[in-house]
Amino acid sequence: MERLLAIYIEALCEEAPDGSTLRDYLALLDALSVLCPFTESVRLGLYVLPIRGPSRFYGGEGAVLEAVAATAHEVVGHEASLGIADGLFCAELAARERLLVPPGSTTSFRRAQPLRVLGREDLVSTCRRLGLHTVGSFADLESARVAERFNKHALALHRVARGELSELATQRDLKLARRLGQLRGESEPQDEQMGFFGQRSGDLRAHAAVHRVRGRLGPEAVVVAALRGGRVPEDRATLVPWGSPVSEARDDAPWPGQLRAPSPATTLHARVSVQLRDADDQPVRMGSRGLFRTSPRTLLFKNLVRRDVVWHAGPWPSVERWWGLSRRRAHLQLVLASGEAVLLVAESGRWWLVGIYD
Amino acid sequence: MFAFSTKRPTLPTDLVATLRPIALAGSRLLPLGEPWNALVPAGGLRRGSTVVVQAPPGSGGLSLALSLLTEASAKGHWAGVVGVDDPGVVAIAELGVDLRRVLFVPRPGAAWAESAADLLDGVDLLVVRPPSRAGYAAARRLMDRVRERGTVLICLAEPNAPWPLPADLSFTITQAQWATSSRLDARYLTVSVGGRGEAARASEHLVVLPNRKGRAAAR
Repeated sequence: MERLLAIYIEALCEEAPDGSTLRDYLALLDALSVLCPFTESVRLGLYVLPIRGPSRFYGGEGAVLEAVAATAHEVVGHEASLGIADGLFCAELAARERLLVPPGSTTSFRRAQPLRVLGREDLVSTCRRLGLHTVGSFADLESARVAERFNKHALALHRVARGELSELATQRDLKLARRLGQLRGESEPQDEQMGFFGQRSGDLRAHAAVHRVRGRLGPEAVVVAALRGGRVPEDRATLVPWGSPVSEARDDAPWPGQLRAPSPATTLHARVSVQLRDADDQPVRMGSRGLFRTSPRTLLFKNLVRRDVVWHAGPWPSVERWWGLSRRRAHLQLVLASGEAVLLVAESGRWWLVGIYD
Repeated sequence: MFAFSTKRPTLPTDLVATLRPIALAGSRLLPLGEPWNALVPAGGLRRGSTVVVQAPPGSGGLSLALSLLTEASAKGHWAGVVGVDDPGVVAIAELGVDLRRVLFVPRPGAAWAESAADLLDGVDLLVVRPPSRAGYAAARRLMDRVRERGTVLICLAEPNAPWPLPADLSFTITQAQWATSSRLDARYLTVSVGGRGEAARASEHLVVLPNRKGRAAAR
């Protein structure tokens, strides 16, 4: 479970009728995203960010707490309750109590909480009659016994209590991202201006055509594309169904080690497992420094189609988010004997075809 | 009966093929970017025309078809891409296409021709890659619709599954060669440009697609 800093601001929890709450919430989200780009908006009044990376960057968890508290005070003028623990559920509890749960103590912190933090009255009263008052005592019940008495939502709570799930389903406001997007003006309704003979402008004609195709093939048939930051083409591309909110994330930040143009004109939606063989028809292995021990000669597909490799560049290894969910990959460009060029990626000891320079 | 009929009079088919909607020369042409504008008659894509891009798989046909969109897209025209199931979004942006005005229908399945016809009303350029060999009747209907709507249809075909009808303009890739350094640098394509009317005299050109910036360029 990831160590998280939760930022809880009570004054932003209740929405004011004039929309000022949402505006303040968005302003603080933008300010916090400058401090840490992985800041998430959980629901009104609550933000969360992974603390390990920023604490290395700012020089300790204390420095991050100070920076965040100062930002919150400056942007919205309210004092923020901060808390650090593992997983969103415990992080929010820690923030409400303004606690810094030391690494490794989250389990005992969670087990000591009163049962009402799980947010279900019937569960609390039933368990109280059984003599169970804390999250820990509820967690010690067998899940089969919980399933006999309660429904599947209580089973999810039980998993949260045991620490198998990191958050309650009710913690997140699923519509918030869309509302923030609308507030940013990303999908404003447009006024239609007809031409003299009733012609529609280009944008509206396109929208009308999209509706016809969706009527024929289904709501997700028409997609639009956008770019976001990233090192490799498969990370930088986003394809979303037409009409869904598109984040205004721009692709102008520097990404050291970015795979440079040209990029593959076909980037596979579902990457294809392949094998790379050397001159002795043995799998090509990479050393610990990301260099080939033998050079690739043959590309072998799952359906046993073999292609000779005439040239390769790379592998270019990358280690991303090393402070948390570490991801090691290496990319490789190949030119095959047929003249085609492809992009492969090695991840967890296997090779995948991710792009074709079509 | 009405004094006039809203239905069109039936005309001989050979006459219909020669009819064109009345429009000024400037608005009849959609702009083409480098290097294609120097290689085609009038330097642009005529509205209502059909362009066929034919290339063996993996030798740059998709890049070529998408590179025909760049200039028009930059000028604000909408484009549609039907049947390209895994578009390389980064490559399309590198070519110079404005992604905000491109609609993708990645998996139309058997309804590819109908989806393309639906989109025709909404876009000015339409790239179509049939998932299987295009039938004669479907291609005929689509091309008629394109002529009527004043859109430009760009069909992607392969030598073993060619577009069943002659096109107004055709780009055929006969050779593709990668130039490499410590990475893939550029691809040199030998493209034969032909078609009907002014474009009837086929000519062969060497173009760079993509170059080190991911764009199309003259040699």
